[in-house]
Amino acid sequence: MSDLLKDKSQRREKRMGKVPSEGGYGGRGKETTGRTKDSISTVSYLDELGHHDDNARMTVTMENTYQMGPYKRFPIPAVTDILKDVLTSYLQQEKYEVEWSQKMTKTICEVIRARVKDLMIPRYKIVVLVHIGQLTGQSMQISSRCLWDASNDTFASYSFKNSSLYGVATVFAVYFE
Amino acid sequence: MDDYQTEEETGFVVDEVSKIIKESIEATIGKNTYQHSRVNQWTTSVVEQCLSQLSKMGKPFKYIATCIIMQKNGAGLQTASTCFWDNSTDGSCAVRWENKSMYCIVSVFGLSI
Repeated sequence: MSDLLKDKSQRREKRMGKVPSEGGYGGRGKETTGRTKDSISTVSYLDELGHHDDNARMTVTMENTYQMGPYKRFPIPAVTDILKDVLTSYLQQEKYEVEWSQKMTKTICEVIRARVKDLMIPRYKIVVLVHIGQLTGQSMQISSRCLWDASNDTFASYSFKNSSLYGVATVFAVYFE
Repeated sequence: MDDYQTEEETGFVVDEVSKIIKESIEATIGKNTYQHSRVNQWTTSVVEQCLSQLSKMGKPFKYIATCIIMQKNGAGLQTASTCFWDNSTDGSCAVRWENKSMYCIVSVFGLSI
């Protein structure tokens, strides 16, 4: 397996304007807060049923497949089309509102995951990340890096922008060996 | 076949990961204020440090790390994630960190091999 540190998407958003409102963060699961002198940090993570529960599902012992690579590769253009389609259709006419975008990030996440699952690509695990932000002249940067097998694992990303908000969706596909 | 390693040794432990993330952010950004020209370097350095610390744990995981740094001027930002994976082995951890001039959100996903 060749591990590769992969540099990814770097975006910058710039626009003028001043709207004093509190920045929100759509967290999920439990949250714990730590506070030092002049910075605050919050940790959120998934804490669902069955995570450490052995009785939730029976352990299935699989036979060896002797399969060394994926039969079907992850189709990046198809997934990029899905991202483009979903982001455009959900965000095109919208203006940024805190409550709305909290719900919308989750909705878009679910929709993208469902549509990528419908592609029926066997043995790929999927991670969907969606960001929706307000355009008020701030600058921001997203960067990702992955420790994975660069020959099989991949990602697709699309960003959308209108006059009041931007949306960035990224799908990581990791081959389950 | 016997399991020679306990779950503690091979599982995705959120506390360990969040500690690594916080340390990387503190080490990189620390008490700095927002400087546009250095953001590129900061995001890169945060995710790189996270990944190198995570890989040092030597667990059977593939990792995805994403870092967002946003200037604080009152603008809102929402992030959410969904995953399709094995809930019993894989895990995620997101840390939101902020100081007076910027937000920094780091998400790490660990997918077992």
